[in-house]
Amino acid sequence: MTAVPFDPELAAALTVISQNMPSSLTPEMIPLLRQGMTTLAPAEDLTLGGIVDLTEVDLGDGVSVVVCRPVAAPTPAPVVYWIHGGGMIMGDHRVGLADPLAWAVELGMVVVSVDYRLAPEHPDPAPVEDCYRGLVWLADNAAELGVDPARIVIAGGSAGGGLAAGTALLARDRGGPALLGQLLIYPMLDERNDTVSSHQMAGLGIWDHTSNDTGWSALLGDRRGGPDVSIYASPSRATDLSGLPPAFVDVGSAETFRDEDVAYATAIWQAGGQAELHVWPGGFHGFDVMVPQAALSQRAKQARVDWLRRLLGH
Amino acid sequence: MRELVGRLAALDPDASAAVQVIAYFDRLAEGRAGLEATVRGVAVLAGCAARLIDEERGVFLRVLADGHRDDHPDDADSDDWPRKRSGDVVLVLEKLGSPSPVDLMVLERGVALARDVLDRTRGRAPDPALVELVVDASAGETARLHAAKRLRLGDRARAIALPDGVVLVEPHGEARHPLGSVRAGVGPFVPVGRLPKSYADAKVALRFADDVLGPRVVRFDELGGLAAVAAAIGPGAAPSPDVVTVGGLPAWALETLHAVVTSTSLRTAATHLTLHHSTLVDRLTRAEQLLGWEVRGPEGRFRLQLAFALRRLHAHPE
Repeated sequence: MTAVPFDPELAAALTVISQNMPSSLTPEMIPLLRQGMTTLAPAEDLTLGGIVDLTEVDLGDGVSVVVCRPVAAPTPAPVVYWIHGGGMIMGDHRVGLADPLAWAVELGMVVVSVDYRLAPEHPDPAPVEDCYRGLVWLADNAAELGVDPARIVIAGGSAGGGLAAGTALLARDRGGPALLGQLLIYPMLDERNDTVSSHQMAGLGIWDHTSNDTGWSALLGDRRGGPDVSIYASPSRATDLSGLPPAFVDVGSAETFRDEDVAYATAIWQAGGQAELHVWPGGFHGFDVMVPQAALSQRAKQARVDWLRRLLGH
Repeated sequence: MRELVGRLAALDPDASAAVQVIAYFDRLAEGRAGLEATVRGVAVLAGCAARLIDEERGVFLRVLADGHRDDHPDDADSDDWPRKRSGDVVLVLEKLGSPSPVDLMVLERGVALARDVLDRTRGRAPDPALVELVVDASAGETARLHAAKRLRLGDRARAIALPDGVVLVEPHGEARHPLGSVRAGVGPFVPVGRLPKSYADAKVALRFADDVLGPRVVRFDELGGLAAVAAAIGPGAAPSPDVVTVGGLPAWALETLHAVVTSTSLRTAATHLTLHHSTLVDRLTRAEQLLGWEVRGPEGRFRLQLAFALRRLHAHPE
């Protein structure tokens, strides 16, 4: 099968990135990856030089959140409920916050980022239930936090995007907190890992077919592919996507998740819902985070801010 | 990515970082990336704003260290900034102090790729020295033919003379230079070995080109016998009485007369001047009185045309 070529600028950066981040990640690499994420990613200054106040809150049972409030944000402020990525197996609530914090500062929002428990130590449904618990806590404590419970946007990238979609489905089905929108950044949605794009980009780019197997198997173990996988773990399995908040979905054309993400946006439209879909040509998984300076990355980031701005009615 | 490169540089300043830089630009070239992507690579890898200048092609492009395009810098170019030139293309790093080995590598690779991209996307800028050589009668024929080959002029080409001694050349069947924005004299197509003659003719044609009344572009081939007249009107030649008379006319009369002698009918001239036909006839009658002869007959018309031509030759004596 012919692979989709990478955008030239992204391809050039990938030659450098791939020395540190192989395309195919296997289960034995999980400890090393977790260690690598801590040492490779420099500790971010989440206060952005003092213009954002941070509050860490322990919700118990291994779940915590960090509340990030720009000092200039209004009260009550709209809020981004952020779910970090990392293939269900790595990362934490303080990594990769640069983009949501930038939205918060630009649009006067608060960011609440959740530290959910990770697979394989905590398999499904722990991650998505943790995310849902954080969301309920946020809605219940809106007044105290100075946020508007009617303007919660759930958001996340990669596994965080998948968990955001799953959490939105949980909120719908349990009559939980109302969501203003769901911002799904190249979300990890389909545990079956059997789309054309998932095979087409095997061994290429970032988070290929093998890596995706590693992540989903850590989350679901033997249940993968069987009848006992819930739509909250693997939202692509949902047959009814009606009654969901407006969605923003973006994805690279040269990545594993392309087809499942396009299909998810399509299913939302078919159910009579609203979705904005961007497929960035030649983008590999996480291109905007790994190569933020590239022209395509700048456009992708801008598209999300533009959508948020319209959603909030700014 | 910059952090990665920086870390590699710290580990092994001679080998690894250089390899990364080379791989980066090679991959950009392979993917036929554009000019902005190239300069962005330079800025990001060097960790500072970078600017690309090609004065010959009128290109100025600047990218900040975070990858955003910003062509409007606060600071003028500084001699203290490291730079690298390739042909007409100059790449500048906006940083002070002596450049690191990685900076030097980035500059070298970046400017080479930028030049390739410019050659590919905007055409190879002709080397002015080659163009001057190919029309220089005092140069040897071998040198001129060699220059013609490097300029890809084919078998037949022509020279175009512009004001201030600027010369252009273009091959038969390929209009490389859009004309009409400035005065231009166009020489005839000739075998490339005879381009000095085409240039000499182009310079003659240029003398007949006029910015105000027109025509702005004159082809030597269309001059006919007027070309011979040009030789008679050199610097310091005394203008004939008709030229003096025409030169003393008010602007409205000049415009009217010029329109009439360059149009096929009074009606066309009126349209050209956006005047009513009868208004034109009135003006023409008054202009003829100022001129001293009638221009509606063939002889008077020719006399005026010649006066206009002579006037342009006096205005551009060489």
